[in-house]
Amino acid sequence: MASASTVSAPNTEAEQTHNPPQPLQVAKRLEKFKTTIFTQMSMLAIKHGAINLGQGFPNFDGPEFVKEAAIQAIKDGKNQYARGYGVPDLNSAVADRFKKDTGLVVDPEKEVTVTSGCTEAIAATMLGLINPGDEVILFAPFYDSYEATLSMAGAQIKSITLRPPDFAVPMDELKSAISKNTRAILINTPHNPTGKMFTREELNVIASLCIENDVLVFTDEVYDKLAFEMDHISMASLPGMYERTVTMNSLGKTFSLTGWKIGWTVAPPHLTWGVRQAHSFLTFATCTPMQWAAATALRAPDSYYEELKRDYSAKKAILVEGLKAVGFRVYPSSGTYFVVVDHTPFGLKDDIAFCEYLIKEVGVVAIPTSVFYLHPEDGKNLVRFTFCKDEGTLRAAVERMKEKLKPKQ
Amino acid sequence: MKEMHGLDVDPLTDIAICSGQTEAFAAAVFALIDPGDEVILFDPSYETYGGCITMAGGIPVCVDLDPPHWTSDPNKAYEAFYCQNKSYNIEQVLVCIINYHRKLYGIKTAGWRVGWAIASACIASTIRNIHTRITDCAPAPFQEAVVTALRIPPEYFELLRSDYESKRDFIIKMLAGVGFRIQFKPQGSVFVFAELPESCLLSDVEFIKESIKQAGVVAVPGCRFFHTMPPSDKRPPADLSYQQRYIRFAFCKSDATLAAAAQKIAGFSDARGRLKLF
Repeated sequence: MASASTVSAPNTEAEQTHNPPQPLQVAKRLEKFKTTIFTQMSMLAIKHGAINLGQGFPNFDGPEFVKEAAIQAIKDGKNQYARGYGVPDLNSAVADRFKKDTGLVVDPEKEVTVTSGCTEAIAATMLGLINPGDEVILFAPFYDSYEATLSMAGAQIKSITLRPPDFAVPMDELKSAISKNTRAILINTPHNPTGKMFTREELNVIASLCIENDVLVFTDEVYDKLAFEMDHISMASLPGMYERTVTMNSLGKTFSLTGWKIGWTVAPPHLTWGVRQAHSFLTFATCTPMQWAAATALRAPDSYYEELKRDYSAKKAILVEGLKAVGFRVYPSSGTYFVVVDHTPFGLKDDIAFCEYLIKEVGVVAIPTSVFYLHPEDGKNLVRFTFCKDEGTLRAAVERMKEKLKPKQ
Repeated sequence: MKEMHGLDVDPLTDIAICSGQTEAFAAAVFALIDPGDEVILFDPSYETYGGCITMAGGIPVCVDLDPPHWTSDPNKAYEAFYCQNKSYNIEQVLVCIINYHRKLYGIKTAGWRVGWAIASACIASTIRNIHTRITDCAPAPFQEAVVTALRIPPEYFELLRSDYESKRDFIIKMLAGVGFRIQFKPQGSVFVFAELPESCLLSDVEFIKESIKQAGVVAVPGCRFFHTMPPSDKRPPADLSYQQRYIRFAFCKSDATLAAAAQKIAGFSDARGRLKLF
């Protein structure tokens, strides 16, 4: 029976008119998952008029040609249920793009599944392929939906912490963690929040451990087109790995359309089976007109991707130089549109205290990274900034910090 | 909600916007069900419900509605709530109602994937938290469009209802005319649950295979909506053969499509106007 949690009701000005507020109800294994940190910080940002470099969504729009494709799809009447595992044209476009990126030829009908964003790809993969009690390895810090969906699947989570300054994979720790009891390992590369990109050497070691112990790999590659300092490598492209890998991706980051929620998985048929079973009970089908537009997007010429990288590189330079000048210790970020920094020069007790101070006293939002760890104390010195904002916004945020944020002597 | 049901719902605390009704249901189930929790469903029920509850580790407990009018027998419901070796404080039982996107079905954009769950704040809050971990948000541009849709004047929906009523009446007449037993006229939704006549020896699945091959008309076998529960002390073995006798036809199609289906079915009938398969 669902248990009544003792957490207090959300802070809101509206009162229940007909009944007194009741304690929150939530399934036991999900009690720790409350309003996401992103929602909390964005709400605080609005309240204080702060410049939001927290949640990773751009404040500029996606390309016109993709928006026009969606409008045309709506006008053409593509508004009813799509095929559950994806509009055929999008499945083909995903397969074509995957071939271009990895060299692998996959069957769009049997090996591509379209989902409501990569968030749902993750949920469908976990719920479709993980049994209660299965052991799954994550690298901390990790995107917050991983832990929640693994809890929904009843998994045993083992976390391996990536540490500054380079967030390299601690291989000895990984070798002692992985065993024949491990069902899967989840890799996010390029990595949110650190911007780390898994090197070929790291992926090779992980691959051989997975083959030796018969472990599946789930990869979240949503930032693959925002790779600045090195080439992105898909685990699925390594010898012997495609047959045990689910590769997840989405439209939103590459095309600045994070609200459209178009994602996908690419996996061999025997793994796609589980993903599709769960997907059919989570959302059943994905937004039809946006899928048609996504197919158009994925056929963008190389010049689109080159300009995307140039644009984001310029933004990154503004933020990184600015943060260094303010006094943060800035860790190198090879990919994504995030950078993590050490905030301790400013004398606040932990990342959450620092972020609250930053919003209220300085007027800038960052995300406290402790929420991305199984053991929050591992992240208390770090906060994450995003540079997926227009240059004016980035400069304004840097100016506010230069003016109001002073390192403690 | 106020206009349709007279309910004062707080938009800030009592609503979770989800990626379609399917996801609203999934979010509600994962938010509230612990492994081993029982969830009562009234059968026949949409296939997704049972699958989703099972995925969350819950146990679907099905209470059969009785054909031909799908009435509910209070004794069966009582038995589902109070089984041997278990007793429940009735106050602990949660009743969750997921609101179908009635008006979205009305504006014919089922592919946009915007739905919602409405519940008291203590439950809606959790549904929202879990929803953000399943899909994060419903497609943003369509949330804006749905705001417009929900403000369409009632006259549009009156016309829509009357249009669908005509389609319903058309399809019932057509199906009854070729020999289906329609003892229950649907009071809502866009479906007719038509019973195969006794003279038809085929099961629902066999009938549909033949209908596709020979008549070129597709429908859904009703057996997928029934979940057979094992007999128990309080549930004697019952005759469940009716669960393979129903075919679900959708009438949310253009008049041209419905007319074309009628023509194909007529072409597949004998001299008396009954389907050859009957």
